[in-house]
Amino acid sequence: MSHLLEKLRFFRTRKESFANGHGATTDQDRSWEKGYRQRWQHDKVVRSTHGVNCTGSCSWKIYVKDGLVTWETQQTDYPRTRPDLPNHEPRGCPRGASYSWYIYSANRLKYPKVRGQLMKLWREAKAQHSDPVKAWESIVSDPVKAKSYKERRGLGGFVRASWDEVNELIAASNVYTTKTYGPDRVSGFSPIPAMSMVSYAAGARYLSLIGGNCLSFYDWYCDLPPASPQIWGEQTDVPESADWYNSNYIIAWGSNVPQTRTPDAHFLTEVRYKGTKTCIITSDYSEASKFGDTWLAPRQGTDSALAMAFGHVILKEFHVDKPSTYFTDYSKRYTDMPMLVMLEESNGHLTGGRFLRAADLVNNLGEDNNPDWKTIALNSNGSMTSPNGSIGYRWGEKGKWNLEQKDRSGDVDLVLSLKDQNDGIADVAFPYFGGAPHEYQYFQHTEHNEIQLRKVPVKSVELADGTTAKVATVFDLMLAHYGVDNGIGDSNRASSYDDDVPYTPAWQEAITGVNRADVIRVAREFADNADKTRGRSMVIVGAALNHWYHMDMSYRGLINMLMMCGCVGQTGGGWAHYVGQEKLRPQTGWTPLAFALDWQRPPRHMNGTSFFYNHSSQWRYEKLNMSEVISPLAPKERWTGSIIDFNSRAERMGWLPSAPQLGTNPLHLADKAKAAGQEVQDYVVDQLKKGDLKFACEQPDNPQNFPRNMFIWRSNLLGSSGKGHEYMLKHFLGTKHGLLGKDLGEFGGQKPEDVEWVDQGAEGKVDLWVTLDFRMSTTCLYSDIVLPTATWYEKDDMNTSDMHPFIHPLSAAIDPVWEARSDWEIFKGIAKEFSRVCVGHLGVEKDLVTIPMHHDTPAELAQPYGVKAWWKGECEPVPGKTMPHLNVVERDYPNTYARFTSIGPLLENIGNGGKGISWDTKDEVKLLRQLNYTHTDEGINKGMAKLDTAIDACEMILTLAPETNGHVAVKAWEALGEFTGLDHTHLAIPKEEEKIRWRDIVAQPRKIISSPTWSGLEDEHVSYNAGYTNVHELIPWRTVTGRQQYYQDHEWMRDFGEQLCAYKPPINLKTVEPVLNKKPNGNKEIVLNWITPHQKWGIHSTYSDNLLMLTLSRGGPIVWMSEVDAKEAGIEDNDWIEVFNVNGAIACRAVVSQRVPEGMSMMYHAQERIVNVPGAETTGTRGGIHNSVTRAVMKPTHMIGGYAQQAYGFNYYGTVGCNRDEFVIVRKMNKVDWLDTK
Amino acid sequence: MKILRLISLLIDYPTAELIAEKDALLAVVASSGLPAEHAESLSAFIENRCRGDIVDWQEEYDGLFERGRSLSLLLFEHVHGESRDRGQAMVDLMNQYKEAGLEISTKELPDYIPLYLDFLSTQGNDNARLGLQEVSHILALLACRLEQRESDYASLFHALVGLSEVALDLNDLRGQIAGEVPDNTPKALDKVWEEEMVNFMDNAESSCSSNNRPAEGQRRDQYIPLNTELLKTSSAGQV
Repeated sequence: MSHLLEKLRFFRTRKESFANGHGATTDQDRSWEKGYRQRWQHDKVVRSTHGVNCTGSCSWKIYVKDGLVTWETQQTDYPRTRPDLPNHEPRGCPRGASYSWYIYSANRLKYPKVRGQLMKLWREAKAQHSDPVKAWESIVSDPVKAKSYKERRGLGGFVRASWDEVNELIAASNVYTTKTYGPDRVSGFSPIPAMSMVSYAAGARYLSLIGGNCLSFYDWYCDLPPASPQIWGEQTDVPESADWYNSNYIIAWGSNVPQTRTPDAHFLTEVRYKGTKTCIITSDYSEASKFGDTWLAPRQGTDSALAMAFGHVILKEFHVDKPSTYFTDYSKRYTDMPMLVMLEESNGHLTGGRFLRAADLVNNLGEDNNPDWKTIALNSNGSMTSPNGSIGYRWGEKGKWNLEQKDRSGDVDLVLSLKDQNDGIADVAFPYFGGAPHEYQYFQHTEHNEIQLRKVPVKSVELADGTTAKVATVFDLMLAHYGVDNGIGDSNRASSYDDDVPYTPAWQEAITGVNRADVIRVAREFADNADKTRGRSMVIVGAALNHWYHMDMSYRGLINMLMMCGCVGQTGGGWAHYVGQEKLRPQTGWTPLAFALDWQRPPRHMNGTSFFYNHSSQWRYEKLNMSEVISPLAPKERWTGSIIDFNSRAERMGWLPSAPQLGTNPLHLADKAKAAGQEVQDYVVDQLKKGDLKFACEQPDNPQNFPRNMFIWRSNLLGSSGKGHEYMLKHFLGTKHGLLGKDLGEFGGQKPEDVEWVDQGAEGKVDLWVTLDFRMSTTCLYSDIVLPTATWYEKDDMNTSDMHPFIHPLSAAIDPVWEARSDWEIFKGIAKEFSRVCVGHLGVEKDLVTIPMHHDTPAELAQPYGVKAWWKGECEPVPGKTMPHLNVVERDYPNTYARFTSIGPLLENIGNGGKGISWDTKDEVKLLRQLNYTHTDEGINKGMAKLDTAIDACEMILTLAPETNGHVAVKAWEALGEFTGLDHTHLAIPKEEEKIRWRDIVAQPRKIISSPTWSGLEDEHVSYNAGYTNVHELIPWRTVTGRQQYYQDHEWMRDFGEQLCAYKPPINLKTVEPVLNKKPNGNKEIVLNWITPHQKWGIHSTYSDNLLMLTLSRGGPIVWMSEVDAKEAGIEDNDWIEVFNVNGAIACRAVVSQRVPEGMSMMYHAQERIVNVPGAETTGTRGGIHNSVTRAVMKPTHMIGGYAQQAYGFNYYGTVGCNRDEFVIVRKMNKVDWLDTK
Repeated sequence: MKILRLISLLIDYPTAELIAEKDALLAVVASSGLPAEHAESLSAFIENRCRGDIVDWQEEYDGLFERGRSLSLLLFEHVHGESRDRGQAMVDLMNQYKEAGLEISTKELPDYIPLYLDFLSTQGNDNARLGLQEVSHILALLACRLEQRESDYASLFHALVGLSEVALDLNDLRGQIAGEVPDNTPKALDKVWEEEMVNFMDNAESSCSSNNRPAEGQRRDQYIPLNTELLKTSSAGQV
């Protein structure tokens, strides 16, 4: 056939195929692209981020079309890092990428809402009373009316209201409460200011202006590691994630980096390509385990035993057998190892007492300023020395608070061990806690005696009073305590790693289940690497360890490893604690805005844990006796009270703050004093002494002391963080609850000694509960008023993180939809209404504010010796010394709004500062007048800089903070230099002219400037790492010794046997026995430990009702358990199960997985009550959330105050809400009841 | 169509003002020319509601329409859920209003049903009917779900479906949503919770279609957005 006839001459087929028909070439026009183009067209792109409790702080592009947010993608314009360091991008995770749907979601809160019953009462009252304050009074002072709306809480029934109406109601309630009970009966809770700091500041500024309490969150969330303040005098300071890349050996301990630090995990992956070795320590087979060259799985809650064994190996090999030159030098300069400790008699044994002080020695060793607070070491020439840097040098004198190896007479070389120059060997007793059996035999104990005797070389020192004291170095005490043999001839120490002596690798095997050979190898690798690289070994640690009652032991154990190896303060080394989010980088610029320090000082701060424990009456159910947890060497008679007693003592001694403060309205005290012809302070002290006036904490069930008004914003307090959820429902709110346990009165338990007990505990203490949110959360469901707030794409705000050094904005891509408003506008509106409504009720008032002795102020030197109760006559009540400071603050209530919206005079008159230093801010306030313009109308704020919009507020922060204003940074370093006597300004001078402003960060995230607020540097040559300036600039740590402290010498620390880190097993909470097999449903009940880690499918702790995320996970409440336990209880994967104890109950599904070890159950943090929750069989109410089976239990050592680093600071030190020692009963459910008909 | 403006008012959040206008509302119903069945139920709705306490009515409204997505009054909640198509769909609808010379004057989204009805009421009878037809399946779905909750609001949506003149088989729809009920048998619940492998390609609904959203089979919420394809077949090409 002819080829010619085969083919078309005038046409060709439109498609010619190739690759066996898999591909085709066409040349049609490109009109088909139109659909695609239209789909991705947009009007503008706006930079924003996601802002509550996520450390990511990732920059996102928000796409807007016709005024509607259509989608978001990751920003990719972060400033580059230096060569040889991977870039930060891309940052972001699926949680952020699925956020935009929330804006238009059916779950979005669209209007201000009030519960219908309250609305009816309010409208009726308003019809009768033209004065809104009188109207509110008529409701809350009528018990029938009050009960009628309180008991409806949580049961729906909301109606819309206008902003005018809700603002009036809220203001009336605040005015009535302030006038009748006192401004400290109004409180507010909002977490994590770093993520949307202006939104936080809005509420805090309002509360601070009227005298309300701001409640802390870092401690309540149990993200605060008390070990950090104890060891370093620093709340938390950690390396940025990029510094992981500089590390050569990384231990990731209880931190699930790929799950909870998604945008940063790449640095961990990348550094492994560089050759860095990794060891992952997690009890379950977590997602992080795959990152490890070694994976160790100690039983949960026993991590400190493992840490002690690591420490044993490091001390033995790198400090005793073949001392590392680097480690020894580091120990002498930067740790308390050479410091001398007095040995004291206790219960017939000689044991570690307090640090020897200059005041103990003849003529104060020549130190006249603060000799009580100058610690002593032995110089190599054999003489006693008070080296520079201890806290006594910080206050009252200048220029010697530094870490130079000097004392008043010149250079010193401190002696670490008295082994070769002693006055004898003493038998010293150390407490051992690992011998106590666990209530369910779940945690293993060993048979060692509770008192361990060791031989320690001592010196005899002549004291000022003529007596002699035996003293030992911290180093020698540590070797003895760790059981490390240093050839001193002590048969009680371990002669090999295989000896079963605390704290050898062999000893820990019984407790943790980890193979001793692995322990020895990891410890050796870790220390060997640090020795060769000068400290480039790092520990990344997460919440898994910090949520146990004895979290400070685990943390101190692993921090000890880092200090022994000289890793703290070195690039690529140190302690990387990533739990919660503490790093508000421009902190000192923000505090005046947030706490209205530009108008009046001091503000009222309260530690959240004690507040919630107290007011939700959890103390009425307390079963933990302090005698169970104190040292066998402690005097038992000191520890007979209940936990609440110790908290109330701490409040009265000026250690912890109080809220409410005194048992009376603080606005009335000035008048009463005047009538009595006394100064206010004298009057109050007299009244307290006579007992006519009490602290509010002594009578929590007295209606005068109820927390009457609560504001919650940026938080799902009752959902994700309400430890003791059911207690809150009952006592705070007075509504339906699922509490199964009995209180101390009902079961005849030991009642508190100091705190008044009434048989009928108060319920429904809160009169008005206001929540701001952009969605209907669990907390909203229980609120009286719900205010719709702007989402993260609808407001202007700022955001910083500890994970990277950039500051970047949340900016308004669109205006808030429906009736929503930004937090700033909402609180501004309430302030305005308050100013109007208060007229006739409140004018200019004198408010008596009690303030504890604060860390980083001279008051931290208040109580150098012992614990004295003025109310028992052990000492005089002296404000600021033996009891809280008493300050009078003038409130100008009718001008609350005028103050809220302008930058007040105190910044120019007094200046600004933080962490113990201060500087002048006249230039900055002048600049702010130019940037924000000034008020021109007549009034108290005429001529002052405006603070009208959220952007004005951002400029105030950026202008005042050293981190974002080079001039301020230089001033701040100068101010610090006066204390240290060293010049630090070279750290900021190259950036002196740099001023980061709002529009700059909207254009691109900006790297901040180095400031003395933090202990690391923002530098082109090193990545940010904590402790860097301590080591390289010789700035002391803010502790008693000025050094990193292995040793804690406060009396209560000693009573708890925590002078040195020890292994302490999980505590017995006794929450299972009373309900075990009491309400059988025919299925077997088993007892499991209860763990609540963070999850991948929720957008951090904020919410878990995002459908895309629920689709990826199982979609509702689930609890993970092991195959062995499931089999025993006859549970199969996906079965409905019930989890309960005396605290409450949860209904959920079982995930049976090999990931989980026997005896553990896990429920992810913050699963929502509004999502697919059926009723629990035990309580008959809707099954609770993960906190339904928990309750806060406090540890008295966290209450210590007035003692250098153990002094109060907001979110710095205080009781923490731990919850992992909890056990629960798990059983299969018979019948799933959705309670839909009820 | 004045009746649409009336129904728009009734579906919107109830106010005291509305109660005061009771007689005027009833007059509109009387003169609307609605079939007796719908006119009676509408009148009964107005009579009943205006007799009670406004706050109770508002509480009930909040509980029905502002909690969860099954009774959302935003049209696209039922079509697109939280997929990325939703933003574009709203943009398109807004264009429709613009072309008609109207601008949205309140803080509401373009797909809010009372707003949409307000728009239709200005477009003449034929266009209004066509507009109702476009969303009749959603209106019918809401009517059935409200029936299920024994709410008299169902009558408003039935009236709208009637006005659209689309013959929908409501029993079929009722059958479809019957499975949504969070009933008490664990077996029915399991269906919703079942863990399935996510498959992006081998699925008739998702593969290569323009819908960049998870296939319906992969969804885990109890209220599945209306499957318009299925409805079209069941209503026999009436749209």
